[in-house]
Amino acid sequence: MISIESVDHRFRGRAGEVQALAGIDLTVETGEFLTLVGRSGCGKSTLLRIVAGLLTPTSGRVVIDGEPVRRPRRDVSFMFQKSALLPWRSVLANVLLPAETLRLDQAAARRRAGELLELTGLTGFQKALPKELSGGMQQRVALCRALLSEPRVLLMDEPFSALDALTREELSIELQRIRQEQDTTFVFVTHSIEEAVLLADRVVVMRARPGGIRRIVEVDVPRPRSLGHHAHAGRVTELSAELHELLLPNEAA
Amino acid sequence: MRRVFLPLLGVALTIAGWWLAVIVLEIEDYLVPTPPQVLNTLAERWAVLLEHTWTTAWETIRGFALAIVLGVPFAVLLAGSRIFEQMVYPLLITVNSLPKVAIAPILVVWMGFGAGPKIVMVLLLCFFPIVLATTAGLKSTPAEIVELARSLDAGRLKTFWAFRLPQALPQVFVGLKTAISLAVIGAVIAEFVGADAGLGFIIVQSGASSDTALAFAAMVLLSLLSIVLFYAVQLAERLLVPWASEH
Ligand SMILES: Nc1ncnc2c1ncn2[C@@H]1O[C@H](COP(=O)(O)OP(=O)(O)O)[C@@H](O)[C@H]1O
Ligand SMILES: [Mg+2]
Repeated sequence: MISIESVDHRFRGRAGEVQALAGIDLTVETGEFLTLVGRSGCGKSTLLRIVAGLLTPTSGRVVIDGEPVRRPRRDVSFMFQKSALLPWRSVLANVLLPAETLRLDQAAARRRAGELLELTGLTGFQKALPKELSGGMQQRVALCRALLSEPRVLLMDEPFSALDALTREELSIELQRIRQEQDTTFVFVTHSIEEAVLLADRVVVMRARPGGIRRIVEVDVPRPRSLGHHAHAGRVTELSAELHELLLPNEAA
Repeated sequence: MRRVFLPLLGVALTIAGWWLAVIVLEIEDYLVPTPPQVLNTLAERWAVLLEHTWTTAWETIRGFALAIVLGVPFAVLLAGSRIFEQMVYPLLITVNSLPKVAIAPILVVWMGFGAGPKIVMVLLLCFFPIVLATTAGLKSTPAEIVELARSLDAGRLKTFWAFRLPQALPQVFVGLKTAISLAVIGAVIAEFVGADAGLGFIIVQSGASSDTALAFAAMVLLSLLSIVLFYAVQLAERLLVPWASEH
């Protein structure tokens, strides 16, 4: 379980102080898939980096499984908007990177890397260099790397936003499948309503200046979900419309 | 085909122009020799010339290697420590702006006529481009790679070896290629000032005896040496950072 307790964050920039986050209180249940949506600049990345222990909040704290976060934890993985693959390493060597830094058991890590690459359809590309892959495949490699250490928590910051719509949907569906095989808690940042509804158990809608939580929307659509025709299309449309309204500007609500 | 042919054509036209100028302008042999005269000298005295070429090459290689051995760790310190950077960077720029030719006679006074002053001169010319490029490379690790290293709990040492240094290699090679182009010049300058061997020594000697064909032959060998060394560095780059080459 992740609990975010009265987190505030201010950046000291050239143009004075920016209040990026104010009074965030949020609990993410173990095994839950939570998405954060909000317009650009509303503090989604800042919040995620605080949860990851990459950034210390100005005040408040984050507690994961009873332990306050002070620095990056071994059982929390982070996936970035850019694939952040090391261009000099092969696909397999990139996926195995956490095994080196976290000193995982090498043989087990290799086995697991093989499974993950198979799961994401990359088996034939183990020896390829990142630059030889498409953007979607690069993000798949980054996903494998993030999953190698079997993290309890996976934090993802707009991981698919640089991809085309079809690849994005493909990866979202893959991610749902992967999720069924793990007992991982996901916090997934996106600015795509479709992605949020497709993936989430709950959607946290954020507001800007200062960054805060506007509303939490429960996505009560059975899985597996897809964007095509299916029995729950009506409910998906309803939820999407609701989120759409929440995200549009104005403080009318 | 074009990639080989056009440069060769350029060289051929330049040589033809040179030859033509010597004939048309009726320039005396002892001022500017014709291409066949230079070729003749090369053919007749190749054994001696080769020996002197090797002397210059070996000085250059040792100076260049020393510049790498000293320059790269220096750049690591510069990139890694803000205090060190603020302390030595202005000094570095000042020293670099000195005309290094001016130091050559002093080096001979200190170190004599052997290989020593030549190696130091090459080192002086190569050190700065290597340090500047390596420092820039080490400082240009993309933000997401730095965060990745942190999120993976990589320590300082691991972050350096596994993330920052490989990331910097393409820029290190930019510095190495600049440096190797200067390296031969450094060796020749030092040979001009005081030497008993090397292509620079040959050029000085031939000047004294008005043997311009020999001086030109030495210059041809100097440029061949520069080209060979440059391509050797480029080959090393292809082997060490194949991932950075475009296509
Ligand atoms: N390193 C920083 N220094 C100063 N201001 C920052 C920094 N990072 C983010 N900000 C500011 O904090 C706010 C939230 O940024 P961010 O968390 O990146 O938003 P989001 O991910 O939702 O687009 C923005 O106004 C941004 O300008
Ligand atoms: Mg962001």
